[in-house]
Amino acid sequence: MTLPVRLGDGTFAIATHDLTKRFGRDTALRGVDLQVPEGAVYVLVGPNGAGKTTTLKLLLGLYAADGGSVRVLGMDPRARGPEVRAQVGYVPERGDWGYGYMSVGRLLEHHAAYFPRWDWPYAMSLAQRLDVGLDRKVGKLSKGMTRRVHLVLAMAHRPPLLLLDEPTDGLDPVMRDETLGLLAEHVADTGATVLISTHLVHEVDRLADHLGVMRDGRLTAQLPREVLHQNLRRYRAEVPAGWTGVPRLDANVVKRGGVGREIQWSVWGDEREVARTLAESGATLRDAAPLTLEDAAVVLLSRKD
Amino acid sequence: MQLAIDTADARPIETQIVDEVRRALAVGALEAGSPLPAVRTLAAELRVNPGAVARAYQVLQEQGVVEMRWGHGPVVTRPAGASEDRAALAKRVAEHALREARRHGVQPRELAEALRAAIAAQASERSTERSERPGEHAGTPLHRS
Repeated sequence: MTLPVRLGDGTFAIATHDLTKRFGRDTALRGVDLQVPEGAVYVLVGPNGAGKTTTLKLLLGLYAADGGSVRVLGMDPRARGPEVRAQVGYVPERGDWGYGYMSVGRLLEHHAAYFPRWDWPYAMSLAQRLDVGLDRKVGKLSKGMTRRVHLVLAMAHRPPLLLLDEPTDGLDPVMRDETLGLLAEHVADTGATVLISTHLVHEVDRLADHLGVMRDGRLTAQLPREVLHQNLRRYRAEVPAGWTGVPRLDANVVKRGGVGREIQWSVWGDEREVARTLAESGATLRDAAPLTLEDAAVVLLSRKD
Repeated sequence: MQLAIDTADARPIETQIVDEVRRALAVGALEAGSPLPAVRTLAAELRVNPGAVARAYQVLQEQGVVEMRWGHGPVVTRPAGASEDRAALAKRVAEHALREARRHGVQPRELAEALRAAIAAQASERSTERSERPGEHAGTPLHRS
């Protein structure tokens, strides 16, 4: 089956081509063509170790690629790293600070010096809404508090691009909710492009308008949300005894299940065509329902190739 | 007015917003002249993509339900509780129920019978309730012993 992996032409805030990265004998990325349209909220989903964090670090110029090209806001991050990083708000997966001795307030001042467009009133309002204590010692922050400090640092200079690596990991439900509200406002105010890497799709579901699925260093699907909802559906049908399936659909069935004579298939393709093919095989179709983003991601991730 | 969005619902978020506004209008929770929140405000409140809110407002404008105002959210221009809006809402609920029934392998006829039975059962329950709490509102204690 061919799931869409390219978004076609358009203006992309991020575009990689055939991006490859090896660590010693391990290949972390195998020819990734990531395309994040300008102004999109793109959710990159995949299990731990799929290559999401490596991709983000390549976008920031923190790693050198072993092959392929990277364009971020029209620039090559290896050649113009500082310029790229000045326009990106980045929330790393792990907060390994080198500034454990500083207070959070001091860290903000330190950070602000690097960003000409740093907005202090906005920074203070972010800190307040995320309940970040400015006099806390950076080295003694909990995982969730570290994440919140990173979110303040990433957004306070109103960057045109946010790269968020597992931004909700470690946040309690109230703070997660607040963070999503802040991100929605940020997008409304700045029209920023947002790339969110996560293995917890449901936590950022409402904001997403594009989905990328990453497995074993490959981008196995990349598509606008409406295309996904339109083409990936869960079909429920009653089948006659001894029914053995539809060979013609095999390549498009992403997931199959069911009990007894009732089947439940997740199939990629035009709804009418799939329905007709099922009907011709003797099945009585009961329902063809779109999947939630979370369910779709799970289905695409658990697909057997 | 609080609009409800459900991520377990696979309908696109903009469709959910459009349907919610039209539902609120049909039942009279919104009326002509009611302001809707600005895109940024509603997006932040619902924690959804501002683009989805903007597209929903666009659709509502095309349907003649709201009018856009610069620098503000749209304002409702359609009168509340129009009978065709109520009928459209009822139709949507009915179609949803029908789809659910089919998904569960229930025949339309069985659904209709079950619906009639459920309505009758609720009606009789309510009338029992009324007779058990006699005349409290009317102020005439008929059966009080």
